[in-house]
Amino acid sequence: MSIMEYNGGSVIAMVGKECVAIACDLRLGNQALGISSKFEKIFPVTDKLYVGLPGLATDVTTLKELFRYRVNMYTIKEEREIEPDTFAHLVSSTLYERRFGPYFIEPVMAGISTTPGGKVKPFIAATDLIGCLNFAKDFVVAGTASSKLFGVAEGLWEPDLEPEDLFETISQTMLNAVDRDAYSGWGTMVYVITKDKVIQRTLKGRMD
Amino acid sequence: MASADGGAYSYSLTVFSPSGKLVQIEHALAVVAGGTTSLGIKASNGIVIATEKKTSSILIDDSMLDKVSVICPNIGIVYSGMGPDSRVLISKARKCAQAYWKMHGEYPPTRVLVQEVATIMQQATQSGGVRPYGVSLLIAGWDINRGQSLYQVDPSGSFWAWKASAIGKNMVNAKTFLEKRYNDDISLEDAIHTALLTLKEGFEGQMTEKTIEIGVVTIPTPEELELGKADAATGRPKPTFRKLTEEEVRDYLAL
Amino acid sequence: METSFAITGKGYTIVASDTTAARSIVKMKVDEDRIKVLSSHLLMACSGEPGDTIQFSEFVERNIRLFQIRNNYSLKPSAAAAWIRRSLAQSLRSRKPYSVNLLLGGYDTTSHRPHLYWVDYLGTMTEVPFAAHGYGSYFVLSLLDKYHDPEAPLEEGLAVLKRCMDEVAKRLIVNPSAYKIKIVDKDGVREIEL
Repeated sequence: MSIMEYNGGSVIAMVGKECVAIACDLRLGNQALGISSKFEKIFPVTDKLYVGLPGLATDVTTLKELFRYRVNMYTIKEEREIEPDTFAHLVSSTLYERRFGPYFIEPVMAGISTTPGGKVKPFIAATDLIGCLNFAKDFVVAGTASSKLFGVAEGLWEPDLEPEDLFETISQTMLNAVDRDAYSGWGTMVYVITKDKVIQRTLKGRMD
Repeated sequence: MASADGGAYSYSLTVFSPSGKLVQIEHALAVVAGGTTSLGIKASNGIVIATEKKTSSILIDDSMLDKVSVICPNIGIVYSGMGPDSRVLISKARKCAQAYWKMHGEYPPTRVLVQEVATIMQQATQSGGVRPYGVSLLIAGWDINRGQSLYQVDPSGSFWAWKASAIGKNMVNAKTFLEKRYNDDISLEDAIHTALLTLKEGFEGQMTEKTIEIGVVTIPTPEELELGKADAATGRPKPTFRKLTEEEVRDYLAL
Repeated sequence: METSFAITGKGYTIVASDTTAARSIVKMKVDEDRIKVLSSHLLMACSGEPGDTIQFSEFVERNIRLFQIRNNYSLKPSAAAAWIRRSLAQSLRSRKPYSVNLLLGGYDTTSHRPHLYWVDYLGTMTEVPFAAHGYGSYFVLSLLDKYHDPEAPLEEGLAVLKRCMDEVAKRLIVNPSAYKIKIVDKDGVREIEL
């Protein structure tokens, strides 16, 4: 029995054309016993940046609160919103502070930033439970279904997808991968982040 | 009690005098006012900070003296007042900048660093067993959010943003001089010359590259900004603050 | 073998917990009240390590009361739950963690809604329409998947609760002899016999 698999749950993030998407499942379990089908694992950081926290459920809540606290302090101190890459470093250092007694969470981040010249830059990243950053160009996965998510995403993802196509790709990846994982599933939540809006949808999934 | 030097109130740092003053802080300001002149001017495309470097004897090797210091690639500090106190603050500021880099993967915006330094200086006015720092600082830096900005921090821990300011000996005269010379669209080159002219007012002895120190903030080009924070070759940000070399100072003095 | 479960309905939350205090194979007590009344509209059913349940539930009870005295109002169920969760999460990474599992049933007098939180000793917390802890949960949860109705009036809610108790009695090898049942709604907390 691994602590990382005690409650179950998975998150995935993908890059599209001037947009990104991030999705999580909604199951909270006690090993094989399902407890809740409304346990969200993705939280907003700014209006253009979201973080997904799959792993041990108590740490999902603790880290959600810790990141909220640190980002709020940053926003007040610096009088500006945090940029995705800066937040990624914040996540990394926060996790590494607990190097020898870690939070059992593997965060996934997705957001977009605008360069001074006005170019839209999609951003996704993931870290392991002690904060080793992985800046990917295509997609990142984490959680109990990560191995399955890798497989499906490898087959479905292609570069420069428009927001609606990206939504379809990430949704199908998530729904099909969690069906092969006993610890993930029970519904899916998807966010597609574009330059001027965020599309949030809850998908029904198999309840078994 | 009512003596001219502040009486009993002048020793305890944390006790207000009946007139509402913390006399130790006023004494610290007096130290600064006796220090060498430093000044800073914010230009439309950068900032210049400059100071007079005075040595008490010609036998001192002045190549070791540093009054303008680099804190991190985008921020520099010049001080007036006590040299030893400034070194403590400079090393604390550098530590702050590195700690910020460790946490956020980028160097702090000028304002954040100024706040940190000001907090350190304020704490020395309220803690037991310490005295206030005997320096005023001019902090110049560039960041993506606010562009170039120039701050002054005093021993009390209070700070202000300036378009141009002077600290140390002759600060009143220097400020009056700057008020006359300053305009909002002054270029960095002009600002450097104005800085030298201002220092010249009330300068004792010869102004040479050995007796002057200059630091400049330049702003990145739009192309550099588009590339992002790090230089692809070194993985480090391109510095926006640097000290002028003796040769450069000499060239400016010759003009 | 401790079992506790809870359900929400139209304007109420019912919390039920068996009253057996057992040690190894011996029943030590059959009228143990495991449901603490934390405030006028908040209930907490505790199960787990016997010493810890008492220590922790009294710690929570005193702190909730202290908040009330200091601020002249009670914490909302959501706020109380967040505080209790944090206490458990902090305890988890201490030298000797509390091993206490909780069900928090409350009625929010500001929004006029019933609330139920499932909390375990790790500090895992989630709001649910129905919840259970202990061996009974394996039977009760699947039963409630079928019969629970969040809009059911109190009588129907109690009928479903009865079904749950009967199911546990039927299927669990050591069936609990009695249950303590408490209801929280707009009028506050009350205990009932079924």
